[in-house]
Amino acid sequence: MNCEELRDHFELYALGLLEEGEEKNEIIAHLERGCPACEAGMKDALAVQALLLSQAPEVLPPMRLKRRVMGAVGVQPMGWTWFAAACASAMLVTALWYGVVASERRRERDAARATLAETISERDRLQAAFRFLEDPQTKQVNFGDSQALPPKGNIYVHPRLGVLLIAANLPPVAADCTYEMWILPKNGGAPQPAGLFRSSNDGTAVHTLGQALNLADVAGVAVTVEPVVGSQTPTLPILFVAQIG
Amino acid sequence: MRQEFLRFIPVWVAFAVIQAAVRLKNDPKLAERLRRRDPKAMAELYDRYGRLVYSLIHRVVRDTGVAEDLTQETFLRIWNRAQAFDPEKGALGPWIVTVARNRAIDYLRSSPGRMAARSLELTDIEHPSRFTGIEDRALTLDRARRLKEAFEKLTPNQKAVIELAYYEGLSQSEMADRMHQPLGTVKTWVRGALKALREQLAEGAAA
Repeated sequence: MNCEELRDHFELYALGLLEEGEEKNEIIAHLERGCPACEAGMKDALAVQALLLSQAPEVLPPMRLKRRVMGAVGVQPMGWTWFAAACASAMLVTALWYGVVASERRRERDAARATLAETISERDRLQAAFRFLEDPQTKQVNFGDSQALPPKGNIYVHPRLGVLLIAANLPPVAADCTYEMWILPKNGGAPQPAGLFRSSNDGTAVHTLGQALNLADVAGVAVTVEPVVGSQTPTLPILFVAQIG
Repeated sequence: MRQEFLRFIPVWVAFAVIQAAVRLKNDPKLAERLRRRDPKAMAELYDRYGRLVYSLIHRVVRDTGVAEDLTQETFLRIWNRAQAFDPEKGALGPWIVTVARNRAIDYLRSSPGRMAARSLELTDIEHPSRFTGIEDRALTLDRARRLKEAFEKLTPNQKAVIELAYYEGLSQSEMADRMHQPLGTVKTWVRGALKALREQLAEGAAA
């Protein structure tokens, strides 16, 4: 067969679809002996094939496929690896930094809340004290003036508001102890617990028992040092006693 | 399948015709770096041809998982055979496209119930030496456009046999079985279609 007769078969040969027969054998023979016309025909067929196949509808491959292909040929996609490592490191550092900052912020917030709660509590105590002092029914009793190492101060009693203690020169107490105020009944009965309190660093304290009292039944107010959870009966010695009735 | 293809072909041709010629242009430097087994060249090769290879294989096998496997196999084969490729005269794009198409056709033919493998192995026709001397001017945008126009002028039966040959890897006997037509009739359609495509390209070259 001549080259012209083979011309119709180059495309199928290039596609691997030319079935066994005279044409196929002739093409192989022509190509093996370097026939210029057949070589040109094959190049044209391969170009047509490439152009046709390249026009397949585009489908996006998944992102992971490049890494997979690079891995299959034993090449690590370095750029991506370094980029990913850098991103991961940056994110880790940022997360740690935010963690530390957030922890610090939490501590500051908790401390501020504690300070605020303490301040509010102090304000409430002082407001209660002022209510005591302003009310005309309040009765003032001094204590400790005659003692050598006085705690001293004032007790204010009010039939509806209760008892206000303002004390100074209180001795320091151990960390596991606190002050406890007691109401001493006139009938000689057991002292009644009237609340726990602590002093400031300078030995002053303000404490309020906010409950109505029948002042006719109250002989006095006493303060002792007790365990931090308080006691049901006073522990001797009594720190001071203020006589009321 | 045939009707679906006939409806589909003008759309994909219209969308992809520009990309085809651009992607297929020769790149001797990239080919040379592949020959030297430069890892960055492999990454560049994937960036340039990965989408095309995946799209082509997906078009043939119509399965994303299989398309991923065969894309990987295609690039592995290119990497392993790049040393036999002539970077100065070889046409990298047509070679890669052919290897990709053959991997997909091999997969189709190895599936249960498909045709037996032919005596001519696909690997023989994709040897790098066959892709020397295909010049850039054979792969221009103008030629891609003319091929598109020629394809659109084919009869439905001619379009169908081109589809079966290029995207399903059927021989003319297998096409005849598939289409329930005499072998002679199928050969006439194939010959007519290929001649029309060839002549349209030749007319453009002469003009």
